[in-house]
Amino acid sequence: MIKNKTNLFETVYRQHHPMVFQMCLGFVKGDKETVNDLSQEVFIRVWNNLDKFKGASSYKTWIYRITVNTCLQYVKKEKKVSIIELENLTSTVETENEINYNAMKLYKAIGQLKKIDRLIIMMVLENQDYDSISEIIGIKSTNVRVKIHRVKKRLEVILKNDKNE
Amino acid sequence: MSSSFKELQSSWENSKTNKEPSIGSFDILYKRIKNKEKENYFFYYGTIIILTFTLIAISLFFYFVAPVKEILSRIGVGLMVVGLLFRIFIEVISIYKAKQINSLDDTLKTTENIISFHLFRKTIHKVIAPIIIVLYTVGFYMITPEFSSHIEFWNLVLIDVSYVVIGIILFIVIRKGVRKEMQKLTEILKLKNEITE
Repeated sequence: MIKNKTNLFETVYRQHHPMVFQMCLGFVKGDKETVNDLSQEVFIRVWNNLDKFKGASSYKTWIYRITVNTCLQYVKKEKKVSIIELENLTSTVETENEINYNAMKLYKAIGQLKKIDRLIIMMVLENQDYDSISEIIGIKSTNVRVKIHRVKKRLEVILKNDKNE
Repeated sequence: MSSSFKELQSSWENSKTNKEPSIGSFDILYKRIKNKEKENYFFYYGTIIILTFTLIAISLFFYFVAPVKEILSRIGVGLMVVGLLFRIFIEVISIYKAKQINSLDDTLKTTENIISFHLFRKTIHKVIAPIIIVLYTVGFYMITPEFSSHIEFWNLVLIDVSYVVIGIILFIVIRKGVRKEMQKLTEILKLKNEITE
């Protein structure tokens, strides 16, 4: 039984790790040190709840829900670990050749949004439809639409300002 | 969809490369899960275990080692024991409330559950904890007159003074924890507004 659970968990982990890692990275503004801890925290919760998965939604949507909740509850630890300045981060990351400059710009821009807006826009970038975002967040689909419209506008302004700088 | 958003989406997709889990990362994660299971057990039940041991120790002490005879002292012991029992009961409710916070609920519901948990903790810190401390302290000082006839005066002074010193240290430590928790409550209330606005 436990072996089955471990095997299933390993499959879920390997399939969804890139998506979870990417969302966590966007949430913590590209902080590599924090992102490992945060993405591990997400998968710890996935493990703890794996028995409760009933198949009502896809694993992907189910994991989004856990990722969003984990990110939002990660406030305390996020403050403990100092957020590395973008300049420092860029050089660290570039030398490691892991995250390109454009991605860093994107993470920085997303990081300027409110926490909930960061997660919503990342789900949009992940091509999640409005209904599933509404189900994950727990607000009406129409509200999600309005929010996304607002967040997109805000993000465009941030990116425009970054270009002008 | 605007062209700039399409650009954004393509940057997002491009940045996804090299995010495959590294070799051995699953084993590290699995070890952390097992450690976390142990930590969680202590996190949830540690305080209850410590309080229960204290309750048993106090009860055994007053039953076998120093059975008090005067009514005032007996009421005092009763107040101390009731204070501890009440504290254990509160801890059980607290664990129940903490377990209501489910990662599988939607974000709004999770946020509301976290708020409910912290509001409960606020009531504990501001109302229930002081009542328990007063009960325990009054009980403690009610048994000192009877104790004074069995132990030396200076020992009694030492016990009474040390109680005050321990009380002050505990007050400072608890106050720090309460401030942190209240800050978290403020942040989570702000988050709920951001979700619903």
